[in-house]
Amino acid sequence: MTDALPSPGRLLCLLLLAAGLALAALAQDQDNSPRLPRARYRSGQEVLDAFAPISAQMRDSIVELNVKEDTVALGVVVDTNGLVLTKASEIKSGRLTCWLASGKEVEAQLLAADDDNDVALVRVKAAGLKPVQWASNPVVEGQWAITPGLADTPQAVGIISTIPHRIRPQRALIGVDFDLDATRPTVGLLESGFGAEEAGVKPGDIFVAVDGASVTNSQQVIEILREFRDGQTVRIRFKRAGREFDASIKMMTPKAGQAGFRSYDNERENRLSGDVSLRNEGFEQVIQHDTVLEPWQCGGPLVNLDGKVIGLNIARASRFATYALPSGLTRQILAKLKSKAEQPQSAAMKSPTDER
Amino acid sequence: MADLRDMQDHVAALVARVSPAVVEVEVGHATGSGVVISEDGLVLTAGHVGEWTGRRVKFTFPNGKTARGQTLGVDEEADAGLMRITDPGPWPHADVGEMKRARLGDWTLALGHPGGFDAKRSLVARLGRIVRLTPGLVQTDCTIFPGDSGGPLFDMYGRVIAIHTAIASSTIENFHVPITEFFENWGELTALPPPPPPPRPQAYCGLSVVDDAGGCRLDKIEDDSPAAKADLKEGDYVLLVDGRRIEASAAFNRWIAESGPGETLQLEIKRGQNVFPVRIKLQPQPRGVK
Repeated sequence: MTDALPSPGRLLCLLLLAAGLALAALAQDQDNSPRLPRARYRSGQEVLDAFAPISAQMRDSIVELNVKEDTVALGVVVDTNGLVLTKASEIKSGRLTCWLASGKEVEAQLLAADDDNDVALVRVKAAGLKPVQWASNPVVEGQWAITPGLADTPQAVGIISTIPHRIRPQRALIGVDFDLDATRPTVGLLESGFGAEEAGVKPGDIFVAVDGASVTNSQQVIEILREFRDGQTVRIRFKRAGREFDASIKMMTPKAGQAGFRSYDNERENRLSGDVSLRNEGFEQVIQHDTVLEPWQCGGPLVNLDGKVIGLNIARASRFATYALPSGLTRQILAKLKSKAEQPQSAAMKSPTDER
Repeated sequence: MADLRDMQDHVAALVARVSPAVVEVEVGHATGSGVVISEDGLVLTAGHVGEWTGRRVKFTFPNGKTARGQTLGVDEEADAGLMRITDPGPWPHADVGEMKRARLGDWTLALGHPGGFDAKRSLVARLGRIVRLTPGLVQTDCTIFPGDSGGPLFDMYGRVIAIHTAIASSTIENFHVPITEFFENWGELTALPPPPPPPRPQAYCGLSVVDDAGGCRLDKIEDDSPAAKADLKEGDYVLLVDGRRIEASAAFNRWIAESGPGETLQLEIKRGQNVFPVRIKLQPQPRGVK
């Protein structure tokens, strides 16, 4: 008895999380081992059909948002007057419209946005939309996570992967290397083009306090700075020649090649993860699920088998993870956005900026 | 709908039941995943996680508890590796299953630490189906990622059937080492006493099968073999083995490879238009035959 040798072919990547991760091109695929028909894959049509009773009843509670004719996100209908929540960072400036399940394209208007969790409130000019029902039970690892769309069957399905948790903002820097010989946190070198240099910080300056909290070692400085996003401003108190002073420093996410960031890692990550959302870090709390979505399929509801909303899909984060803001948090944000939208036009339409 | 609800309850209970046995492993500067399969702390992982025998390992359980241990043997070709927790147990552990009952389309649960251990998130569960089966590799659409290496793939009974090894760029290309690969070289893998149960001797049935449009066809039957004694003929098709549908020669071969000498298999054979049952008793491999 002889079996054809296994040869998965193409580019294989060993999964070890290590510096010298191996990439090996294996021999061309030549075995005749049977494959499952695509319709029977986890998000194949046969499986999605089983979820149709749930997703079909959600169709009038979902919109597809378009910016200049490009579909950029889904939205979840939250009242009978056309209020819709969606993923804020996908709503770029330009003519905003949306597709409804009926096949109609209608005008939409951005009312307010919450920068902390990347949620936007949009008004859709349509009647007959049906607000979603919110789930009240906590989610359990292993439970079905269904992402409905405008069609009868869901976009894709998955399961809840982890306990709900917070996602830190993407790493942003002030552009300082510590002086490793100093006993107190001290500026060693300045990275050019970053905020610290711009704010006039000099080598030898000693960190006294960051964002109001006093610091005595570099680890504390790093931990506090980790909470700031790209573009935000952090206030740091330094000591120079016996005198203390405050500096307002703008945080910046390094681009490939800047401050020792290698583009190689990012490229490899992208190749193995497919397309991920541009804004995929920095959320107060997320439900992590394994549903494979395209970035534009975020912004809509994540529902359970009762057709109730357990979360708002907020980012395609990696090969193995999609994040949803839990329903409780989403409703809090909704309340905040509603009151923001009711404020005088000038304040409400101000673009979201630093709130710290 | 009732089925989906049953499956949901089942999977959620499964995640809760098997998670305590899944560990993050740190060897040198590298991290991967693994699964404890015995009370005294034997850990299955991928070969490329431990790399070689006798290295120090730190294990972290999902609840944050850590333990010390060492690498045992490594089978580089199969990418199979064993480790042992040396701290005193007992340790939470998972049952080990077998691949021969695994079928295309079976649902599986992948656990591990993609991207490395993260205390606020802990273990990451993913569900998928077996989309391809070869003797040395299982492919699923459970989306695994660097850091998952060595983590377990469970069947729906909560038994470890394979260990995460590699991915390719598409999200449906996730590869796992079948548990069978571990047992074939068990002696080498354990490397250190006490020895576990020896691998089962190979069974012999004396036929070879090929795939054609009709399914899994008997190609050659050796004289005086169990197949010949059972009156099988070249050109017969195998439809079922022990009640399981055989779709391809690889499935049949795997079944034989994972059966022991002396076992009796119940086949359903199609010859021309006739379909009939055949019982075949497997023998030990004759000497000189691989």
